[in-house]
Formats: sequence, structure tokens, C-alpha cells
Amino acid sequence: MNKVMSNKVVIALYVLPALLLIGVLMFVPIILSGYYGLMDWDGIGAMKFIGLENYAELMGDGKFWDSAYHSFLLALFSTISLIAYLAISLILANKLKGSELLRKIYLIPMLLSSVAIAQLWLKVYDPNNGILNSLLTTLGVDNPPAWLADTDTVLFSIFIAIIWQYAGFYIIIYSAALKGIPESLVEAARIDGANPIQIAYKIKIPLIMGVIKVTVVLAIVGSLKYFDLIYVMTGGGPNGASEVMASYMYRQAFGTYNFGYGSAVGFALLVICLILTWLIRKLTASGDEIQY
Amino acid sequence: MKKKTLALILLSLFTVFALVACGNDDEGTDSNDSGESTNNGDSGETADSGEDKTIDFMHLWPEGSSPQHFAIVNDIIDEFESENEGVTVEVEILGNEQYKEKLKVLSASNELPDVGMTWAAGFLTPYVDGNKFASLDDLLEGDLNDLFVPGTAEAYALDGTTYGLPLELNITPLYYNQKLFSDNGVDTPETYEELKSGIQTLVDNGVTPVTLGNKDRWTGSMWYMYLADRIAGPDALPNAISGEGSFTDPGLIQAAEEIQELVDMGAFVNGYNGLGNDEAKGYFLNEAAAMYLMGSWDLPEYTTNENNSQEFKDSIDYMKFPEVEGGKGNRDSLVGGPGVGLFVSEDSDVKDEAKEFVSFFVQKWGERSVTDAGVIPATKVDTSETDLPEMYIDVLNDLNEASNLTLYADVQLSAAAAEVHLNQIQALFGGEVTPQEFAEAHDEAIAKENEE
Amino acid sequence: MSNGIKETNTPMNRIGFGLLYLVLGLVALFQIYPLVWLFIFSLKQNSEIFGRSPFALPEDPQWGNYAKAWTDGNISQFFFNSVWITVISVILTVLLASFVTFAITRMHWKLSSLVLGMFMVGIMIPIHSTLIPLFDFFNRLNVIDNPLSIILSYVAFNLPLTIMILLGFYYTLPREVEEAAVMDGCSVHRIFFQITLPMTTPVISTTVIINMIYNWNEFVFVNTFISSDTWKTLTVGIQNFVGQYLTDWGAIGATLMISIIPVLIAYFILSNRIVEGIAAGSVKG
Repeated sequence: MNKVMSNKVVIALYVLPALLLIGVLMFVPIILSGYYGLMDWDGIGAMKFIGLENYAELMGDGKFWDSAYHSFLLALFSTISLIAYLAISLILANKLKGSELLRKIYLIPMLLSSVAIAQLWLKVYDPNNGILNSLLTTLGVDNPPAWLADTDTVLFSIFIAIIWQYAGFYIIIYSAALKGIPESLVEAARIDGANPIQIAYKIKIPLIMGVIKVTVVLAIVGSLKYFDLIYVMTGGGPNGASEVMASYMYRQAFGTYNFGYGSAVGFALLVICLILTWLIRKLTASGDEIQY
Repeated sequence: MKKKTLALILLSLFTVFALVACGNDDEGTDSNDSGESTNNGDSGETADSGEDKTIDFMHLWPEGSSPQHFAIVNDIIDEFESENEGVTVEVEILGNEQYKEKLKVLSASNELPDVGMTWAAGFLTPYVDGNKFASLDDLLEGDLNDLFVPGTAEAYALDGTTYGLPLELNITPLYYNQKLFSDNGVDTPETYEELKSGIQTLVDNGVTPVTLGNKDRWTGSMWYMYLADRIAGPDALPNAISGEGSFTDPGLIQAAEEIQELVDMGAFVNGYNGLGNDEAKGYFLNEAAAMYLMGSWDLPEYTTNENNSQEFKDSIDYMKFPEVEGGKGNRDSLVGGPGVGLFVSEDSDVKDEAKEFVSFFVQKWGERSVTDAGVIPATKVDTSETDLPEMYIDVLNDLNEASNLTLYADVQLSAAAAEVHLNQIQALFGGEVTPQEFAEAHDEAIAKENEE
Repeated sequence: MSNGIKETNTPMNRIGFGLLYLVLGLVALFQIYPLVWLFIFSLKQNSEIFGRSPFALPEDPQWGNYAKAWTDGNISQFFFNSVWITVISVILTVLLASFVTFAITRMHWKLSSLVLGMFMVGIMIPIHSTLIPLFDFFNRLNVIDNPLSIILSYVAFNLPLTIMILLGFYYTLPREVEEAAVMDGCSVHRIFFQITLPMTTPVISTTVIINMIYNWNEFVFVNTFISSDTWKTLTVGIQNFVGQYLTDWGAIGATLMISIIPVLIAYFILSNRIVEGIAAGSVKG
């Protein structure tokens, strides 16, 4: 059997097309981007090689580290919210009446493009006649915060919108994973007298641990390079209070003619993602994939 | 053995693509003096045959949001094509933000369109330094001699050479709602002090005095610019921007202090730092705010836009930003300047035709833009022959009487310094920096730029 | 585990269920509201959209926004482009990703973890860093303003994510059937196409949905690589209403509504496939 499953020609046939695509369209560009990071280049005129100057500047750039901190916060926030998505998926997996419909509804925000989502949330957070503040005023709150205008609230206001946007994404992944669990295993546990919570905790979650790990990585990496809503809703403001790494990079590269520096920021973003993912894998390496 | 082959295949593939991709850099430096870098693809045929020529033209007036602009552009192109046989104009249209992003990508790859749109001063400088835009001096000395309002084309000049020809000229009036003013017993202010007491009355009556979408930042900058002009005189701010003067000039510091005083009074709509300009304008259009400082490009909203009720349009008037008592500036000094302009790419292989097109465009645009699209062109307008809404006549008159026109600060500044300025504006309005810190941050950013 | 509590239908349980449904229902309301809101939004004028309560119904429903979006926005052409570009990219991505995942999880070779690592790195690459090199590359190949450039980019940039999602499932999928097939002397291709692919239908549907949504809403690549209207897609059509000084939000809303309906339908059909796939898969498992 090893012979069939280690046929090098087949492996090459299966892997090379995809590898070629990402190699050419993702790796070469990002390597070039790291190379542009060694240049003093406005993206227009001639390049000037300046060695590691951009990267050295990055190390001392308070604005970059602020934005990195915001990105880390988002990563933490998204990872924690995975618990809620998992809980919802587990509940829905219990063959509740209407769970199919609910699951479909939960994904709807994902279908909208970022333009629409940003507009919606701008309406939610409008300080004077927004959905949220209208609600708060009727509940008797005086002077509710001006969410997106206030440096203290802006970041978390946007996080909520991002969490909301991606809820459906993780719920369908978890749901599909849970559906892959053989019915016989759950049935056996039920016969043994386990209640739904025990089944979830002792059987289902361990079985889909592989998927859970993947979603943790996706949530963290996705957060670290997150761009869309922040760019449209606040542009990173007020005064940088909601700037994240990707928006900072965009601003440098495309906004202020600092293409070399922007490329360095982009490359740093990749390195930070790599380090973090490596750490996560180290930390969770204990339990290998469960098979049965 | 197999592993090695695989690795080899991969390595060779990477090398091939790295070569393809990096080849650009050498070419980029070589081609700076010769215009021959674009010998691939579509350009080859036109250069040799000399018959059919295509001018690529990129603009930012999509049919959906700017139907009148769009229509005029198409008419002009049709007219141009029929007068110049064998020349076709290919158009690409993008929304505002996308336009700026794409221009950047195109120029990095040496693929700028033959004719495109640019903004003045700070936006244009890197393109000129990078040798991307062609000089248009020959047009200004020829066909277009004395056609532009003085001071407009100059905003596109660097070291005495002009690289762009403006299509629009804007000033920044303070629009106000007469009905909200009279309902609350506020008279049209003659001085800044009267304006402030009017603002206080409106605040006391629970009316939002001023709407401001300071998420976009240039909006708040216009308030600061007017106060700077009225208090410190017309030269202080431009001097500080060029680095000759300083933002710590007592007048400029006072202007920043005034901003914070207005904020403390509650002059601006709640949550201004989180509102975009479109959202902020909504408050004004819905008569939920009494004043709105905005460019004259907004004039159609208050004159011809059919979506706004006649009653509303009648209640809107504008004033020139009032004078500050004891200040050095006067009411005829305006914030504004040319908006977008046309450039011709230095590397264009149809440069002559492109220049001809630009010249043709500017002239036709000047004839039609006010009447058909409500845009004040940067070319001189003969008001006597056209039938324009009252507000347009007034604005055109103000322009004629203007003692000084100060270009928007974020346009004057280089991109990196403009970024600092805009962020500092948000911080100043948000009370996160003191006027002194605000000034020092500017001086530092400008000094850093001037060093380079 | 041994001292499990027996399930009973006590009143407490029923209250619990009621509460559960209430919470689930509220979440659903929270998630579906945007669609309703977007519909109302699409019927408003600019002046109504800003500065007034978002709950307010349009004073004078602007059905014209839809007509405007369809004609001025050139939507019909863009719509068609969106459909076929999305379909081709999704098929290519999911197929290539399945190949890779199969090779990594089922076949034995030394470099598999390295290749997997490369794909993992792929999800971390920020798209804006790659724009200028990519443009340059496609320009050299003369495929700028050619749908090939966006299809290739879509496939490449969605491959890593798709593989990640597939991977989790491939690991948990029982291998007995495949192993038995190997014993029976099946070729690898037959195993892949006739056993593994059908068994992974649920996750394939999931990845198809995710890819479809991503490609359908993708914006940056189309905007950068495509210049003529012939090849632009719907999301760029939306930009037709974003102006230098004025943005026609009502028409944008209408375009968004038009663009959501097909995805919504496709999504509902596909998510039923997930259910069917499970039904078929669980028999085998």
C-alpha cells in the first residue's frame, strides 16, 4: 500500500500546480516586497538602496507598534469569540428544530461586501441618530459615547463589527466538522448515559480538535492582517486610535509615497504572523490529530 | 534523488519569475532619460505605423455619481476624435480612492496612462521628481495663453515648469441655513465674535451650530486654515508650511486655541471626529445643523440638485468666513484653489496628440462645465453670457475680488507632512494635543521633509 | 463519564430550551437585520440616508435607484463577468486545494510538511504588499486587462485558506475505506475522485461557499488589473457611484442588493448539499 500512496509522479501532479501558483503569485511578490523594504522608494521615481534602514526605523516607530498592539488586541478578541461560535455550532448540531435555517441566517453578514457592512455599522454607531445611541437614549442613558469618534471606544466598536461579520464563517466550518462525526460514536455515548454537554465536551470537541486548531490560526492570522472595515469605517482614526498594521502599511505605501517603508511594514507583518503561528503550534503541539 | 529533482524544479521556477519580475528595476533606472521603456504590447504598433493612434485617458468621474461630468467628457472626446482623424481616446474611469491607488500602481510599473488626472502641489511633486509627467509649458505659451485664472495653473508648477492644467477652481464658503438662523434669533455674523455668540445662542437652543465630518480630516483643516488666515494674516500659514516660518507663530497658536474653544463651546456636531464628510453633510441637508464649511463644489446641492427641496435650497446662503477682531487677515482672503487637473505622461508614445487633447479638453471644459455640471473651471468664465444661479454669480464675484487664495494645507504639504497635519487636526479637535504640541508636531514634520 | 445524568423532560428543561431558542433567535435577528436594512437603504435618497434615523422608512421609495444601478452602472455586463469568473475560480481553487490536501494527508513523502508550511505561510501574506509586483508580473505576461490575471490571483490567494479548512476535515475523516481500496489495487486517481472527493462533500460545499463569497466580493485585484469595462465585475460597478465630491449611496445600496441575491440563492442551494453530503457520508463512515 505504501507503494501506491507514495508515487512521486502522482504527488508532483497533485501538488505542483497549486504550489506553482502560490509560489509565483504570492511568494515572489512578498519576497520582492521585502526587497523594496531595503529601498528608499516613493513608488514613482528611482529606487535607492538603503540597507536595513527602513527596518531599523520600524523598530523605533511608535505608530507602527501602536498599530501592532491594536492588531494583537483584535487577534485576542477574535480568538476568544471562537468559543461563542463553537458553542452555537454545538447547540445547532443537536438536531434542534430550525437549526438548519438558523445556521443559514447566521452566515448572511458574510455575504455582504465590506462596503455594505461598513455603511451598516456606521449607521449603528452614528452618535446622534444611530441605532445604538437611539436605543441607549430611550433606555435613559444621558450622553452616550460617540463610539467611532472617541479614541477610547473606537477600537472595540470596530472589533464588534468584525466579530459579527465573521461569525457565520466559523459557524459553518464548525458545523460541517461536527457533521463529520460518525453518528454511532455519539449514539454510543448517549446509551452510556452521557448528557449533551458531556457529549460535546468529551467526544465532539476532542474529535474536531484539528479543525479548532485551524480556526485559531485563521482567526489570529486573519486579525493580524485585517484591513477592510477599519479602512472604510475610520481610516485608522481618530488620530491613529484604530490603526492596525495593514492599514498603517497601506497608508505608508499608497497614501504618503513611502513605498519602501510601507513594504517593510508589510514584510514585518508577515514575520510577526509567522512568529505567532509558530508559537501557537509549539504551545498546542502536545495533542496530535485524533484518529479513529 | 526525487527530492532533489523537485527542489530543482521549484528553484528554477522561482528563478524564472524572479528574473521576469526583477528585470523591471534595471529597466526602470535606464529608462528615466529615454522614453522607450514602453515597447511592449499595444504601444509597438502605434509607434511605427503612424496611422491609428490611441490616447489612454484615465479620469474619476463615473457616470453613476457624476453624470454631468461624465457626459461632458464623452462629448469632448467625441468632438476631439471627429476633428482628429485616426486618433481614438480610450477611457478608464475609477472612483476617487481607487483612482489614486491605481495611479500609484501604474506609475510604479511605468504604465501611466497618456493623459490622466492629478492634484496640485504635494500630490504632483513625486511624479515630477520621478520624471513621470511631461512639461505643459508649450501649451500655456501657445493655445492656452492667458486662459487660466491667475494663480491656478501655477499650483501645478515646480521650479517654473507647469506639469498639470487645472479643470476646477474652488473656494470655501461658509454655508448656513437662514431659516435656522432666524428661528433662533441669530443674525448673519459680520465678525468672528458675532459668529461665536451666534454659535452660543444655537447651542443654548439645542440646535447643532456646525456640522463637520472630521473623520476625513481635511474638513477640520479648513476651519483651522481660515482662523489662521484671519488671525495671523495670509502669509503666516504658507510660510510655516514652506518652513520659512513656524507653526509656533503666536497667531497660528491662537488659531489652534480658537479651534479648541469652539470645540469646548459645543460648536461642532456630536461625534464629528467619527463622521465622514458625506454623513456630516446629511445633517446640513436635513436642516439638523445650521452651518457647514465646505468647498464651492457643493454649490449644486444648494442650487440645482433636484433631490433637495426648493424650500431647503432657498433657505441656504453662504458667507465669507468672518474677520477676527484685531486679526491680520481680511474677509476677502479665501481658502481654496484648483482641484483636479490634467497631466500628460512623460513616457507617452503619443505625447503630441496627448497634449493636443489636453489643450482641447481644457478649452471645451471651460466653456461647458459651469452651465452643464455646476463646476467652476480654472479657466476664465464670462458670466454675462450664461444664465447661472445667483449663488454661482456671487461665488465667481468673490473669486474676482479675492485678495488672496490659500491652497488647502493638505494639498500644499508633501504627502508625509500632510499626513501629520491631518492627524494633528483630528487630535486638536479631539482635545488630545495642546495648541503648542500641535504646532511643534507640524514644525518637526516639515523640518524632516525639508532635510531630505 | 460513567455517572451521566439521564435526559428528562422536566419543566426546567423546557424553560431552558425556551431561553435557548430566544437567544438563538435574537442572534439570528441580529444577523439578518442587515439585509432588511440594506433593502431600505437602497430605496433612499442621499439626504435621507445621512442625518436621519436609520430606522426611518424611505419617504418616497426610490425604485429608480435600481434602474439607475442597472443602466448607468453597466451592471448587466459586470454581473455576467462576476458569475463566470467566480465559478471558474471557485472550481479551480477547490479542486487544486483538494489535490494538495489529499497528497499531504494521505500520501507519504518527505517534503509534505514543508509544502504544508508554505501554504500556511500563504495565508499570512498581506494582499496590498503584493499588488505592485503582481501588476508588474501580469503586465510582462501581457495579461493586464485580461480576466486571466484575476482568476489566477483568486485561485492563488484562496488556495491556502481552502487547504487549511480542508485539512482539518481530512485529518478527522476515517481512512478505512481508502485503505481497503488500496488493498483492492485501486489507482490513486480513482481513490481520490471516487472515494475521497465524494466523502468530503460537506467540507467541499463549505469551501465552495467561502470561496464564492470571497471571489464575488473581491475588489482590489479587479480594480488594479482590469481597466476596460468589458472585464470588470460587480464590485467595481459599485464604485461607479462613488464620486469625487458626491457619492450616490442609494444607487450603491441598490447595486449591493442586486449583487447579494445570486450569492444568497447559491448559498442556500449549497448548504443543502452539505446536509445531503452528510447523509451520504455517514452511511459510509
